Amino acid sequence: MTQSAKQTEFESLLAPLLGAAYGTALHMTRNREEAEDLVQEAAVQAFRAFHTFQSGTNFKAWFFRILTNLFFNQYRKKRREPELADLEDAPELYLYTQTQSMGLHDRNTDPAALVLTRMDSEQIGRAIAALPEDYRIVSSLYFMEEFSYQEIAEMVDCPLGTVRSRLHRGRKMLQKALWQIAEAQGIIADLTSEKDS
Amino acid sequence: MTQVDRLTCAEVFRRLDDYLDRELSPREMQLVKAHLEICAACASEYAFEAEVLNQVRAKVQRIDLPSGLLAKVSRALAAAADEP
Repeated sequence: MTQSAKQTEFESLLAPLLGAAYGTALHMTRNREEAEDLVQEAAVQAFRAFHTFQSGTNFKAWFFRILTNLFFNQYRKKRREPELADLEDAPELYLYTQTQSMGLHDRNTDPAALVLTRMDSEQIGRAIAALPEDYRIVSSLYFMEEFSYQEIAEMVDCPLGTVRSRLHRGRKMLQKALWQIAEAQGIIADLTSEKDS
Repeated sequence: MTQVDRLTCAEVFRRLDDYLDRELSPREMQLVKAHLEICAACASEYAFEAEVLNQVRAKVQRIDLPSGLLAKVSRALAAAADEP
């Protein structure tokens, strides 16, 4: 195969998932420029290793593994601290308990939808970005790309049990972050006053 | 299903995330499902968690690709293809 034909084939596989790769890179780096650089570098690295990709296997999982490894090896040191404090002590069923104590379970509407439909993509993205890095990476791969635990374990080079526990804790922290953002944005106050009126 | 085959609320709770993600064995999926069908409290928690997952997934996946990134990647690949 000529280099040009190889590039055409590679690009035809990469192009449909570039948006997803950028979204995940953005959650990893929390910086638009770094996310673009990370995607570009991962693309070049994957292209150079394209001969090792087995045709017929999952290209997306293969490429995301390269993207994730590159992030861990080159971008991780540039990480920033989470925006929201005290996420690590998030208890189980955080949103469920909070919405219940606010009396939001009494309505006909789904209480989770009641809060989350009022939050936009930017606010949800901010909550994920606030997670500590290990939890943020697996949560991004899980929430955004719906990879299986096994696929994520291979991407981050961790045992499956570690991915499972990080996702579990990541979800709890995410719920607390979502609640903090919803409170800060006045969404909870609006819901409370609507309930009381 | 016999009594010993049933899961308690605590056992279901520990498996809730994995159930939501279809990461349990078929047998365990069935046991959790059977419990959720008869326990309103666990079913309510499960429905809530499922809705959180749906809402987050629906919103977080909408990130626009920056204009020019595709062309930038393409140029970088062309340069890599020219490498000896």
